[in-house]
Amino acid sequence: MNGATGLGELVRLAARRSRWFYLAWVLALTLVVPATAAAYEQIIDPANADLLITTMTGIMGVLGIVRSTRAQEEDGRIELLRSGAVARHVPLVAGLVVGLAACAALGVLVAVAMIVVGAPAAGSVAFGGGLALVGATFLGIGAVAAQLTASARTANALGLWTLAAAYTLRAVADGSGEGATARLAWASPVQWMALARPYADERWWVLALPAAATLLLVVGAVALEAGRDHGAGLWAARRGRATAPERLRDASGLAWRLHRGQVVGWSIGMLLFALAMGSLSTSFGEMLEEVPQLRIIFERMGGGAERLVEAFFVAMLSIVSVVMAVLAVSLFGRLREQEERGHAELVLSTALSRRRLLGSHLAIAALVPVLLLAVVGAVLALNQSRSVGDWSIVAETAGAALALAPGGLVALGIAVLVHGWAPRLGWVAWVVVGWSLFMAWVGTALDLPEWLTRLTPWAALPQLPVEGMDWTAVLVTLAVAVLLVAAGAVGYRRRDITGL
Amino acid sequence: MDAIELVEVTKRFGATTALDQLTMSVAHGEVHGFLGPNGSGKSTTIRLLLGLLRADSGTVRMLGGDPWGEAPTLHRRLAYVPGDVALWPGLTGGEVIDLLGRLRGGIDTTRRAQLLERFDLDPTKKGTTYSKGNRQKVALVAALASDVELLLLDEPTSGLDPLMEAQFRAVISGERDRGRTVLLSSHILSEVEHLCDRVSIIRAGQIVESGTLAELRHLTRTSVVAELAAPVPEALASAPGVHDAQIEGHRLTCQVDDTELGPVMSRLSALGIRAITSTPPTLEELFLRHYDESA
Ligand SMILES: Nc1ncnc2c1ncn2[C@@H]1O[C@H](COP(=O)(O)OP(=O)(O)OP(=O)(O)O)[C@@H](O)[C@H]1O
Ligand SMILES: [Mg+2]
Repeated sequence: MNGATGLGELVRLAARRSRWFYLAWVLALTLVVPATAAAYEQIIDPANADLLITTMTGIMGVLGIVRSTRAQEEDGRIELLRSGAVARHVPLVAGLVVGLAACAALGVLVAVAMIVVGAPAAGSVAFGGGLALVGATFLGIGAVAAQLTASARTANALGLWTLAAAYTLRAVADGSGEGATARLAWASPVQWMALARPYADERWWVLALPAAATLLLVVGAVALEAGRDHGAGLWAARRGRATAPERLRDASGLAWRLHRGQVVGWSIGMLLFALAMGSLSTSFGEMLEEVPQLRIIFERMGGGAERLVEAFFVAMLSIVSVVMAVLAVSLFGRLREQEERGHAELVLSTALSRRRLLGSHLAIAALVPVLLLAVVGAVLALNQSRSVGDWSIVAETAGAALALAPGGLVALGIAVLVHGWAPRLGWVAWVVVGWSLFMAWVGTALDLPEWLTRLTPWAALPQLPVEGMDWTAVLVTLAVAVLLVAAGAVGYRRRDITGL
Repeated sequence: MDAIELVEVTKRFGATTALDQLTMSVAHGEVHGFLGPNGSGKSTTIRLLLGLLRADSGTVRMLGGDPWGEAPTLHRRLAYVPGDVALWPGLTGGEVIDLLGRLRGGIDTTRRAQLLERFDLDPTKKGTTYSKGNRQKVALVAALASDVELLLLDEPTSGLDPLMEAQFRAVISGERDRGRTVLLSSHILSEVEHLCDRVSIIRAGQIVESGTLAELRHLTRTSVVAELAAPVPEALASAPGVHDAQIEGHRLTCQVDDTELGPVMSRLSALGIRAITSTPPTLEELFLRHYDESA
C-alpha cells in the first residue's frame, strides 16, 4: 500500500458528497459578482465589490473542507474507509482536491462572467484568479483547523474566526488611510485579491502570496495529521463538569446550551456590522453627492426615499431582515439535526413531550433574530442621531426594523411546516431565504421588475420610514407565520421520529 | 394486566414491513429477553413502545396506557437505553446523566454515584470523546439511576467488555429483585440465559416463539450418541423423530425430538446399549434453528 492508495476512489466519493454544496456556492458567487459589478459598473471599480465576495469565498473554503474531512471523521465514515485500502492522508487530500477544483471553477466562471459583462480581460483574470486563490487559502486554513480539534463544529468556528480576524484587519487597515497601519492589509488573506489590483494596473506577483500560503497550509495540515490519532484532534479535548448545572434541567435549558455558541457569534457579528454601517451613514450623503448613479441605486433600494440617509437605512434593514431569517432558519435547523443524530430519540424517551421539544428550539429561533434585528436597527441609527442630536431616530429605526420581522418569521414558519410534515424537504426554507436574500441584495440594483423583487415573504411589509406604517400588512404576515408554525406543530406530533 | 401488550401490530416503512401482525406480552416484574436476527424488528418494536413510531394497525399498550397518545406521562415510569447511544458533543457524560434524569422527573444522586463507580465511568469527559462502550454506560447509568417501573433496553451491552457485562448482569438481577420489569433485546445468549425469565424470538417482524427457557428447550431436540451391542439397523435413521442420523457399524449419532425420546430409547435398549450420551440442546442450537430463515 503506497501513500496514494485509494485516492481516485476517494476523490470520486468526496466529489459526490460535496457536489451540491460546491455547486450552490460557486453558482451563487458567480451570479452575484458580475451582477453587483454590472450594477455599480460606472461608479465603483469592480474590485471594490471584492470584500464581500472574498469573504463569502473564504466561508465556502472553510465549510467545504471541514465537511469533507473532520465532519466525515466525526461521523465515523472515514474509519470505515481507512479500514479498507486507503492510505493515511488520502481522505484529507481527496477533500482538498475537490475543494481546489471548486475554487478553480469559481475563478474561471467569475473571470468569464466579468469579461462577458464587458470588463477588461486582464483585470477579470486577476479578479477570478485572485478569488480562486483566496478560496484555496481558506481551504488550507480549514484543513489545518480540522486537524486541531476533534469536532467539526469547533473546526468550522476556528476557521471562520480566522476569517473574521482577517476581515477586521482589513477594515482597520482601510480605515487608517496611509502609513504603517495601512500596511497591515498585507497580512489579511481576504485583501490579497484586491492588493493584486485587478482592473487597475494589475500586480500579478501579489497572487503568489495566496498561492504560497495555500501550499504552506496544506503541507502543514498533512504534517499535523501525521502527528495525531484517528478521530482525535491535536488539542486534547477539555474535561468538563461532572454534574449538570442547574439551568440544564429541561428542554429549554438544553436548547439554549446547544444554540448559545451560534447566538453569541451572530450577535457579535451583527453588532459589528451595524456599528460599521452606522458610522458610514453620516458621511454617506456627501459620498453620494459625487456619484449620481450610486445615489439612484440607493434611492431605488431605499424605496424612493427623499433623504439619502433614510434610503440607506431602509436598504440596510431590508438586507439585514433577510439575514436574520437566515439565522432563524439555521437555528431551527438544529431540531432536524438533533433528530438525525439520534438525540431527539433520547430526549423524547423521557417525560418530554414533542410539543415542548419543538417549542424549545422554536422559541430561540424566533426570539433571537427578532431581538437582534431590533438591536441592529437601533445601533445603525446611533451615529446619525448623535450627529443631528435627535435620539428619537434610534427608536424609529429599531421600529422600522421590527416592522420587517414578520417576513423572517414566515420563513421560519415554512421551516417548521416542512419539519413537521416532510423533514426531508428541509431545503425548501433555504430556497425561500436564499431567493429573498438575492432579491434584497442585488434585485433592486439590477432594476428587476418590482413584482419579482417582491415575490418574498416580505412583500406586503412597510419600509419605514419611507412608507407609512401598515398595521394590516404586519399583522397579516404575522398571522401567516403563526398559522405555518401551528400547522407544522400538528404534523410534528403525528409523524414518526427517526432514530439513528 | 401485563406491563407490555402488543396485539397484531403492523408497522411499515414504505415498502418494507418491519412488523407483521406481531403479538407479544411482557408481564409485570419479569425480565423478558427479546431475541432475533438483524433487521427482524426489535428496535422497531421498542420505538413503538416509546411512542416514537406509530403503528399502522393493531393495539399497543404499555403500563396500562397508550404509548402513542400518552407518551410523556408514561415515560415518567420508564427508562430507555438505545442500541446506538448518541451523546451531544458539547455535553459531558455527567451532564447527560443529570439532564436525562431530570427530564424523566428526577434522579437519585446516591444511586447515580454508586452506578458511576460500579461501571467505572468518568463523568467529566465530553460526549464525542467517549468510546462506544462508555457512551452506552452513560445511557445505562442515566436509565438505572431513575426510579422507574420499566426498563426498555435495546442491546445495552453490545459495546461492554466482559467485566462491565458482569456488572450489568448483577445490576439487572438487583432490578429484578426490586420488582422492575425489563425488556432486554440482545444478541448475547448467555446474557439472556442468565437474566431472563421469559424470552420472545422475533423473525421477519413476527414472534416465532415465546415462553420460558425451559419451555423452549422442551420443544427441541436432544443429541444422542449411542454404542450398541449389534450393528445399527438402517431403518433407525428414518424412525419418527430421528434426525441427522449417522451410522457407523455399532455407533449411532443423531438428533431426537424430545417428544419421541421415549420410543427411540426403547428401540435402542432392545438392541442392547453399551454406552450412551445424550446432551440437551445448547441455547445456540436452539436459537440458530429459529434464526435460520430456511428452518
Ligand atoms: N426509519 C426507518 N425507515 C425505513 N426502514 C426502517 C426504519 N427503521 C427500521 N427499518 C427497517 O425495519 C426493519 C426492522 O429494523 P429494526 O431496526 O427494528 O431491526 P432490529 O431487530 O433492531 O435489528 P438489529 O438486531 O440489527 O438491531 C429493517 O428491515 C429495517 O431496515
Ligand atoms: Mg436494533
